[in-house]
Amino acid sequence: MNIDLHEKRIPIIKIGNFLIVSIQVDMHDKLAIQLQSQILEEIEKTGAKGVLIDISVLEMVDSFIGRMLSGMATMASIMDASVVIVGMQPAVAITLVELGLEMPGVDTALNMEKGMEMLEKRLKDDDYKLY
Amino acid sequence: MKEDYKIERVKERINYIEDVLASVAAGDIDARINSEVEDDLSGIEAAIDLLIDDLTDELKQRKKMQKEVEEKLAKIQEQQKTIFQQQSDLLELSSPVSKVWDNVLILPVIGTLDSQRTQIMMENLLEKIVETGCTISILDITGVPTVDTQVANHLLKTVTAARLLGTECIISGISPAIAQTIVHLGIDLSSINTKATLQDAMIYAMKQNQLSENVKLHSLFADSDENEE
Repeated sequence: MNIDLHEKRIPIIKIGNFLIVSIQVDMHDKLAIQLQSQILEEIEKTGAKGVLIDISVLEMVDSFIGRMLSGMATMASIMDASVVIVGMQPAVAITLVELGLEMPGVDTALNMEKGMEMLEKRLKDDDYKLY
Repeated sequence: MKEDYKIERVKERINYIEDVLASVAAGDIDARINSEVEDDLSGIEAAIDLLIDDLTDELKQRKKMQKEVEEKLAKIQEQQKTIFQQQSDLLELSSPVSKVWDNVLILPVIGTLDSQRTQIMMENLLEKIVETGCTISILDITGVPTVDTQVANHLLKTVTAARLLGTECIISGISPAIAQTIVHLGIDLSSINTKATLQDAMIYAMKQNQLSENVKLHSLFADSDENEE
Protein backbone atom coordinates (compact mmCIF):
# COMPACT_ATOMS: atom_id res chain seq x y z
CA MET A 1 0.00 0.00 0.00
CA ASN A 2 1.50 3.25 -1.01
CA ILE A 3 -0.29 6.10 0.64
CA ASP A 4 0.83 9.55 -0.31
CA LEU A 5 -0.04 11.83 2.56
CA HIS A 6 0.33 14.93 0.47
CA GLU A 7 -2.41 14.00 -1.94
CA LYS A 8 -6.02 13.33 -1.33
CA ARG A 9 -6.84 9.95 -2.72
CA ILE A 10 -10.11 8.33 -3.43
CA PRO A 11 -10.09 4.83 -1.99
CA ILE A 12 -10.54 1.91 -4.35
CA ILE A 13 -11.87 -1.19 -2.68
CA LYS A 14 -11.66 -4.62 -4.21
CA ILE A 15 -14.50 -7.02 -3.46
CA GLY A 16 -14.45 -10.32 -5.31
CA ASN A 17 -14.13 -9.62 -8.96
CA PHE A 18 -15.12 -5.98 -8.66
CA LEU A 19 -13.56 -2.73 -7.73
CA ILE A 20 -15.68 -0.28 -5.79
CA VAL A 21 -14.92 3.40 -6.02
CA SER A 22 -16.99 5.72 -3.89
CA ILE A 23 -16.45 9.36 -4.68
CA GLN A 24 -17.14 11.25 -1.48
CA VAL A 25 -15.48 14.55 -2.18
CA ASP A 26 -16.00 17.28 -4.72
CA MET A 27 -14.19 16.34 -7.86
CA HIS A 28 -11.76 18.76 -9.37
CA ASP A 29 -9.97 18.21 -12.62
CA LYS A 30 -6.66 17.07 -11.20
CA LEU A 31 -8.31 14.61 -8.85
CA ALA A 32 -10.37 13.26 -11.73
CA ILE A 33 -7.32 12.60 -13.91
CA GLN A 34 -5.55 11.02 -10.97
CA LEU A 35 -8.54 8.83 -10.21
CA GLN A 36 -8.69 7.71 -13.82
CA SER A 37 -5.13 6.43 -13.90
CA GLN A 38 -5.48 5.05 -10.39
CA ILE A 39 -8.47 2.94 -11.36
CA LEU A 40 -6.82 1.70 -14.54
CA GLU A 41 -3.70 0.71 -12.61
CA GLU A 42 -5.82 -1.07 -10.07
CA ILE A 43 -7.64 -2.97 -12.82
CA GLU A 44 -4.32 -4.14 -14.19
CA LYS A 45 -3.03 -5.11 -10.78
CA THR A 46 -6.06 -7.01 -9.55
CA GLY A 47 -7.50 -8.27 -12.80
CA ALA A 48 -10.93 -7.02 -11.80
CA LYS A 49 -13.77 -7.66 -14.21
CA GLY A 50 -15.96 -4.78 -13.17
CA VAL A 51 -15.73 -1.33 -11.66
CA LEU A 52 -18.54 0.30 -9.71
CA ILE A 53 -18.26 4.04 -9.38
CA ASP A 54 -20.62 5.51 -6.80
CA ILE A 55 -21.34 9.17 -7.45
CA SER A 56 -24.41 9.46 -5.24
CA VAL A 57 -22.89 12.26 -3.19
CA LEU A 58 -21.69 14.25 -6.17
CA GLU A 59 -24.06 17.15 -6.54
CA MET A 60 -22.31 18.80 -9.42
CA VAL A 61 -20.72 17.29 -12.46
CA ASP A 62 -19.20 19.50 -15.14
CA SER A 63 -18.42 18.58 -18.70
CA PHE A 64 -14.85 17.62 -17.84
CA ILE A 65 -15.85 15.13 -15.16
CA GLY A 66 -18.59 13.80 -17.43
CA ARG A 67 -16.12 13.26 -20.23
CA MET A 68 -13.65 11.72 -17.82
CA LEU A 69 -16.26 9.23 -16.60
CA SER A 70 -17.29 8.16 -20.08
CA GLY A 71 -13.66 8.01 -21.19
CA MET A 72 -12.84 5.83 -18.25
CA ALA A 73 -15.63 3.41 -19.20
CA THR A 74 -14.16 3.05 -22.67
CA MET A 75 -10.62 2.60 -21.36
CA ALA A 76 -11.73 0.02 -18.82
CA SER A 77 -13.69 -1.92 -21.41
CA ILE A 78 -10.54 -2.11 -23.54
CA MET A 79 -8.90 -3.62 -20.47
CA ASP A 80 -11.76 -6.15 -20.23
CA ALA A 81 -13.51 -4.59 -17.26
CA SER A 82 -16.95 -3.03 -17.43
CA VAL A 83 -17.69 0.20 -15.64
CA VAL A 84 -21.03 0.89 -14.02
CA ILE A 85 -21.80 4.33 -12.68
CA VAL A 86 -24.23 4.11 -9.81
CA GLY A 87 -26.43 6.50 -7.87
CA MET A 88 -26.41 9.52 -10.12
CA GLN A 89 -28.54 12.36 -8.78
CA PRO A 90 -31.45 13.61 -10.92
CA ALA A 91 -29.97 17.10 -11.05
CA VAL A 92 -26.68 15.71 -12.29
CA ALA A 93 -28.44 13.64 -14.95
CA ILE A 94 -30.32 16.73 -16.15
CA THR A 95 -27.10 18.76 -16.25
CA LEU A 96 -25.29 16.10 -18.26
CA VAL A 97 -28.15 15.81 -20.72
CA GLU A 98 -28.32 19.59 -21.10
CA LEU A 99 -24.58 19.64 -21.73
CA GLY A 100 -25.11 17.09 -24.48
CA LEU A 101 -23.05 14.50 -22.62
CA GLU A 102 -25.30 11.52 -23.00
CA MET A 103 -22.52 9.06 -22.19
CA PRO A 104 -23.31 6.40 -24.74
CA GLY A 105 -21.79 3.06 -23.89
CA VAL A 106 -21.60 3.78 -20.19
CA ASP A 107 -23.71 1.56 -18.00
CA THR A 108 -25.59 3.10 -15.14
CA ALA A 109 -27.54 1.77 -12.20
CA LEU A 110 -29.82 3.31 -9.62
CA ASN A 111 -27.81 2.16 -6.63
CA MET A 112 -24.83 0.05 -5.66
CA GLU A 113 -26.95 -3.07 -5.16
CA LYS A 114 -28.48 -2.89 -8.63
CA GLY A 115 -25.11 -2.11 -10.16
CA MET A 116 -23.56 -5.13 -8.48
CA GLU A 117 -26.44 -7.32 -9.71
CA MET A 118 -25.91 -6.00 -13.22
CA LEU A 119 -22.21 -6.80 -13.21
CA GLU A 120 -22.77 -10.22 -11.73
CA LYS A 121 -25.32 -11.00 -14.42
CA ARG A 122 -22.95 -9.84 -17.12
CA LEU A 123 -20.12 -11.92 -15.70
CA LYS A 124 -22.38 -14.94 -15.62
CA ASP A 125 -23.48 -14.36 -19.23
CA ASP A 126 -19.85 -14.12 -20.29
CA ASP A 127 -19.14 -17.40 -18.52
CA TYR A 128 -22.00 -19.07 -20.36
CA LYS A 129 -20.61 -17.82 -23.62
CA LEU A 130 -17.22 -19.17 -22.73
CA TYR A 131 -18.26 -22.69 -21.84
CA MET B 1 -65.00 110.82 -16.77
CA LYS B 2 -65.09 108.79 -13.66
CA GLU B 3 -68.00 106.42 -13.41
CA ASP B 4 -69.48 105.82 -10.06
CA TYR B 5 -69.69 102.19 -8.93
CA LYS B 6 -72.43 101.28 -6.56
CA ILE B 7 -70.55 99.02 -4.21
CA GLU B 8 -70.88 98.72 -0.50
CA ARG B 9 -68.13 97.73 1.85
CA VAL B 10 -65.65 97.10 -0.97
CA LYS B 11 -62.62 96.26 1.10
CA GLU B 12 -64.41 93.85 3.40
CA ARG B 13 -66.10 91.97 0.53
CA ILE B 14 -62.92 91.64 -1.52
CA ASN B 15 -61.19 90.26 1.55
CA TYR B 16 -64.02 87.79 2.01
CA ILE B 17 -63.74 86.66 -1.66
CA GLU B 18 -60.03 86.12 -1.15
CA ASP B 19 -60.70 84.08 1.99
CA VAL B 20 -63.25 81.89 0.22
CA LEU B 21 -60.92 81.29 -2.74
CA ALA B 22 -58.11 80.45 -0.37
CA SER B 23 -60.19 77.91 1.52
CA VAL B 24 -61.36 76.35 -1.75
CA ALA B 25 -57.77 76.08 -2.86
CA ALA B 26 -56.97 74.46 0.48
CA GLY B 27 -59.56 71.77 -0.24
CA ASP B 28 -62.73 73.02 1.44
CA ILE B 29 -65.03 72.58 -1.53
CA ASP B 30 -68.18 73.60 0.37
CA ALA B 31 -67.00 77.19 0.87
CA ARG B 32 -69.15 79.75 -1.04
CA ILE B 33 -69.38 83.53 -1.06
CA ASN B 34 -73.22 83.67 -0.95
CA SER B 35 -73.39 87.45 -0.98
CA GLU B 36 -76.73 88.91 0.15
CA VAL B 37 -76.05 92.37 -1.18
CA GLU B 38 -77.30 93.34 -4.65
CA ASP B 39 -74.90 95.63 -6.43
CA ASP B 40 -72.20 95.74 -9.10
CA LEU B 41 -69.83 93.35 -7.34
CA SER B 42 -72.50 90.71 -6.66
CA GLY B 43 -72.37 89.56 -10.31
CA ILE B 44 -68.71 88.67 -9.97
CA GLU B 45 -69.39 87.01 -6.65
CA ALA B 46 -72.13 84.87 -8.19
CA ALA B 47 -69.83 83.96 -11.09
CA ILE B 48 -67.10 82.88 -8.68
CA ASP B 49 -69.63 80.75 -6.79
CA LEU B 50 -70.65 79.10 -10.05
CA LEU B 51 -67.04 78.41 -10.95
CA ILE B 52 -66.49 76.85 -7.55
CA ASP B 53 -69.61 74.69 -8.09
CA ASP B 54 -68.28 73.46 -11.43
CA LEU B 55 -64.90 72.73 -9.95
CA THR B 56 -66.47 70.80 -7.10
CA ASP B 57 -68.52 68.68 -9.48
CA GLU B 58 -65.46 67.95 -11.56
CA LEU B 59 -63.48 66.98 -8.49
CA LYS B 60 -66.21 64.71 -7.20
CA GLN B 61 -66.51 62.99 -10.56
CA ARG B 62 -62.78 62.49 -10.80
CA LYS B 63 -62.68 60.97 -7.34
CA LYS B 64 -65.51 58.63 -8.24
CA MET B 65 -63.77 57.55 -11.41
CA GLN B 66 -60.50 57.05 -9.60
CA LYS B 67 -62.22 54.86 -7.07
CA GLU B 68 -63.83 52.81 -9.83
CA VAL B 69 -60.52 52.37 -11.60
CA GLU B 70 -58.88 51.31 -8.38
CA GLU B 71 -61.62 48.78 -7.72
CA LYS B 72 -61.29 47.39 -11.22
CA LEU B 73 -57.54 47.19 -10.86
CA ALA B 74 -57.87 45.30 -7.60
CA LYS B 75 -60.31 42.92 -9.26
CA ILE B 76 -57.96 42.34 -12.18
CA GLN B 77 -55.08 41.74 -9.82
CA GLU B 78 -57.17 39.24 -7.93
CA GLN B 79 -58.03 37.47 -11.17
CA GLN B 80 -54.43 37.45 -12.26
CA LYS B 81 -53.47 35.87 -8.96
CA THR B 82 -56.07 33.17 -9.50
CA ILE B 83 -54.75 32.56 -13.00
CA PHE B 84 -51.18 32.20 -11.75
CA GLN B 85 -52.33 29.90 -8.97
CA GLN B 86 -54.26 27.75 -11.41
CA GLN B 87 -51.34 27.71 -13.81
CA SER B 88 -48.99 26.39 -11.17
CA ASP B 89 -51.66 23.95 -10.00
CA LEU B 90 -52.04 22.76 -13.56
CA LEU B 91 -48.31 22.30 -13.88
CA GLU B 92 -48.26 20.32 -10.66
CA LEU B 93 -51.23 18.24 -11.64
CA SER B 94 -50.26 17.75 -15.23
CA SER B 95 -47.35 15.46 -14.56
CA PRO B 96 -48.33 12.81 -12.05
CA VAL B 97 -45.89 9.96 -11.74
CA SER B 98 -47.42 6.81 -10.33
CA LYS B 99 -46.04 3.45 -9.46
CA VAL B 100 -48.27 0.85 -11.07
CA TRP B 101 -46.38 -2.34 -10.50
CA ASP B 102 -43.23 -3.58 -8.83
CA ASN B 103 -40.42 -1.68 -10.44
CA VAL B 104 -42.69 0.13 -12.94
CA LEU B 105 -43.52 3.84 -13.00
CA ILE B 106 -46.02 5.45 -15.35
CA LEU B 107 -46.07 9.09 -16.41
CA PRO B 108 -49.15 9.78 -18.50
CA VAL B 109 -48.91 13.04 -20.42
CA ILE B 110 -52.10 14.82 -21.45
CA GLY B 111 -52.35 18.03 -23.42
CA THR B 112 -49.88 20.19 -25.25
CA LEU B 113 -46.30 20.08 -24.10
CA ASP B 114 -44.13 23.14 -23.74
CA SER B 115 -40.59 23.36 -22.52
CA GLN B 116 -41.52 24.50 -19.00
CA ARG B 117 -43.92 21.62 -18.58
CA THR B 118 -41.52 19.05 -19.95
CA GLN B 119 -38.83 20.38 -17.64
CA ILE B 120 -41.07 19.89 -14.60
CA MET B 121 -42.13 16.51 -15.93
CA MET B 122 -38.53 15.43 -16.28
CA GLU B 123 -37.63 16.57 -12.78
CA ASN B 124 -40.69 14.85 -11.28
CA LEU B 125 -39.96 11.62 -13.07
CA LEU B 126 -36.28 11.53 -12.09
CA GLU B 127 -37.06 12.39 -8.46
CA LYS B 128 -39.66 9.64 -8.35
CA ILE B 129 -37.29 7.13 -9.95
CA VAL B 130 -34.70 7.77 -7.26
CA GLU B 131 -37.33 7.81 -4.53
CA THR B 132 -38.98 4.52 -5.47
CA GLY B 133 -35.99 2.74 -6.98
CA CYS B 134 -38.05 1.62 -9.96
CA THR B 135 -35.94 0.63 -12.94
CA ILE B 136 -38.57 0.89 -15.67
CA SER B 137 -40.61 3.98 -16.41
CA ILE B 138 -43.23 4.41 -19.11
CA LEU B 139 -43.84 7.79 -20.68
CA ASP B 140 -47.33 7.58 -22.17
CA ILE B 141 -48.00 10.32 -24.70
CA THR B 142 -51.39 9.09 -25.92
CA GLY B 143 -52.95 12.35 -24.78
CA VAL B 144 -50.51 14.60 -26.60
CA PRO B 145 -52.00 16.01 -29.80
CA THR B 146 -48.88 17.31 -31.51
CA VAL B 147 -45.16 17.19 -31.14
CA ASP B 148 -42.64 19.68 -32.48
CA THR B 149 -38.86 19.57 -32.59
CA GLN B 150 -38.48 21.16 -29.20
CA VAL B 151 -40.88 18.81 -27.48
CA ALA B 152 -39.35 15.77 -29.17
CA ASN B 153 -35.97 16.99 -28.03
CA HIS B 154 -37.26 17.29 -24.47
CA LEU B 155 -38.68 13.78 -24.59
CA LEU B 156 -35.31 12.52 -25.80
CA LYS B 157 -33.59 14.37 -22.96
CA THR B 158 -35.96 12.85 -20.41
CA VAL B 159 -35.28 9.34 -21.69
CA THR B 160 -31.53 9.94 -21.75
CA ALA B 161 -31.53 11.38 -18.23
CA ALA B 162 -33.48 8.35 -17.00
CA ARG B 163 -30.89 6.14 -18.67
CA LEU B 164 -28.10 8.03 -16.93
CA LEU B 165 -29.75 7.23 -13.61
CA GLY B 166 -29.53 3.58 -14.59
CA THR B 167 -33.13 2.97 -15.55
CA GLU B 168 -35.04 2.29 -18.72
CA CYS B 169 -37.62 4.70 -20.07
CA ILE B 170 -40.18 3.54 -22.63
CA ILE B 171 -42.33 5.90 -24.69
CA SER B 172 -45.76 4.57 -25.49
CA GLY B 173 -48.85 5.77 -27.33
CA ILE B 174 -47.26 7.51 -30.26
CA SER B 175 -50.11 8.45 -32.58
CA PRO B 176 -49.82 8.21 -36.39
CA ALA B 177 -49.75 12.01 -36.63
CA ILE B 178 -46.89 12.24 -34.16
CA ALA B 179 -44.99 9.43 -35.87
CA GLN B 180 -45.33 11.28 -39.18
CA THR B 181 -44.20 14.57 -37.67
CA ILE B 182 -41.22 13.00 -35.97
CA VAL B 183 -40.02 11.37 -39.18
CA HIS B 184 -40.65 14.52 -41.20
CA LEU B 185 -38.71 16.57 -38.69
CA GLY B 186 -35.84 14.14 -39.03
CA ILE B 187 -35.67 13.28 -35.34
CA ASP B 188 -33.95 10.02 -34.60
CA LEU B 189 -35.84 8.03 -32.00
CA SER B 190 -34.16 4.75 -32.84
CA SER B 191 -32.18 4.79 -29.61
CA ILE B 192 -35.40 4.91 -27.64
CA ASN B 193 -37.66 2.03 -26.86
CA THR B 194 -41.10 2.88 -28.23
CA LYS B 195 -44.27 0.85 -27.88
CA ALA B 196 -47.60 1.28 -29.65
CA THR B 197 -49.87 1.36 -26.62
CA LEU B 198 -49.61 1.60 -22.88
CA GLN B 199 -50.65 -2.05 -22.76
CA ASP B 200 -47.69 -3.11 -24.89
CA ALA B 201 -45.38 -1.03 -22.74
CA MET B 202 -46.77 -2.64 -19.58
CA ILE B 203 -46.33 -6.12 -21.03
CA TYR B 204 -42.77 -5.29 -22.00
CA ALA B 205 -42.06 -3.86 -18.54
CA MET B 206 -43.44 -6.92 -16.81
CA LYS B 207 -41.39 -9.20 -19.05
CA GLN B 208 -38.28 -7.24 -18.18
CA ASN B 209 -39.24 -7.53 -14.53
CA GLN B 210 -39.67 -11.26 -14.83
CA LEU B 211 -36.31 -11.58 -16.56
CA SER B 212 -34.46 -9.84 -13.77
CA GLU B 213 -36.50 -11.75 -11.19
CA ASN B 214 -35.58 -15.03 -12.87
CA VAL B 215 -31.96 -14.09 -12.81
CA LYS B 216 -32.19 -13.30 -9.13
CA LEU B 217 -34.05 -16.52 -8.33
CA HIS B 218 -31.68 -18.46 -10.52
CA SER B 219 -28.64 -17.12 -8.75
CA LEU B 220 -30.28 -17.76 -5.38
CA PHE B 221 -30.98 -21.39 -6.29
CA ALA B 222 -27.55 -21.81 -7.75
CA ASP B 223 -26.04 -20.60 -4.50
CA SER B 224 -28.13 -22.92 -2.36
CA ASP B 225 -27.33 -25.85 -4.63
CA GLU B 226 -23.68 -25.17 -4.26
CA ASN B 227 -24.04 -24.94 -0.51
CA GLU B 228 -25.84 -28.26 -0.33
CA GLU B 229 -23.16 -29.89 -2.35
